[in-house]
Amino acid sequence: MPQLPRAHFPTALAILSALWSASSTAAQTTVSGVRDLNFGFVIQGLATQVSPTDPIKSGQFYFRTPGLGSRVRVQFTLPTQLNGPAGATLPIAFQTTDGFIKGTATSSIGLTFNPNATSTFNMVTSADANVWLGGRVTPAINQTVGGYTNTVIMTVTVF
Amino acid sequence: MRVLLAVSAATLVSLSLVPQATAQTSGTITARATVRQPITIATGQDLDFNIVLQGTPKTIASTAAAAGRFDATGTLSANVNVNFTLPANLVDAATNNLPIGTWTGCINPSAAVNTSGCTAIANMAGTTASAFGNVAGTGRLWVFVGATVSPAAAQPVGNYSGTVTMTLTYF
Repeated sequence: MPQLPRAHFPTALAILSALWSASSTAAQTTVSGVRDLNFGFVIQGLATQVSPTDPIKSGQFYFRTPGLGSRVRVQFTLPTQLNGPAGATLPIAFQTTDGFIKGTATSSIGLTFNPNATSTFNMVTSADANVWLGGRVTPAINQTVGGYTNTVIMTVTVF
Repeated sequence: MRVLLAVSAATLVSLSLVPQATAQTSGTITARATVRQPITIATGQDLDFNIVLQGTPKTIASTAAAAGRFDATGTLSANVNVNFTLPANLVDAATNNLPIGTWTGCINPSAAVNTSGCTAIANMAGTTASAFGNVAGTGRLWVFVGATVSPAAAQPVGNYSGTVTMTLTYF
């Protein structure tokens, strides 16, 4: 069985420490989808906007970090279209003010951000936060009627 | 010396690993929309009481030929809520009021007919659930309205009118 030279022990410990730190931080970080971004009924030829502060229709995520002082990067994978019946697609877009984040502490202040770009936040008042997402769909005049869906992914990186 | 070099190189490796001690976690939601056709509502026929006599109430049933009628189109088979804004009075040019009430209605998703296949609306002041019918591949709905006017014995003679508004909302 190969022996690790004694001189390499500190190195091995440092690597293990780094790996443990990463896995530990990962274990303490959670992200969950809370509510779908639901435009409801939209009319052919009529663009429909949902504000991130809409209490019913806006999408909502929740994330928790290991603790106060964490720095997080929030990044979305946003669709450009929703998929409907028989291959029909419905354009969807997100404006620069369609993201809203707020820590769960009563002293937390909400911030509007651009969900199209990666955003960095310092978790100062709370270790967890809610993120809300708005958007806009633009059905064509002859848009196929029916239900349309697609997936929105939010990735949180603690560093 | 060889040991020192080895340790130094390994330390650099370990230091370069530390900044990567990050945690990346993802969650998903679904973006949803349901596309519907625009709803159109046309006046099929006014609710016309014609001549009414002072002191004599007159009723037009929602199933009568003189009943008011709304003609609506929308998405085939889609559910809609039906609501009305109903006047309490008809008004003449001199702003005299002619009381109107006891509203009745019925809904037919198949044809512009109120003598058969027309489902009575239980509460004209509330919300009634219905659905567009399929008439030759088009979503159609016909809504009929009746009421009673109650002129006073000294009701000023003249022409009285008011507006009945129907609102259809997809649900």
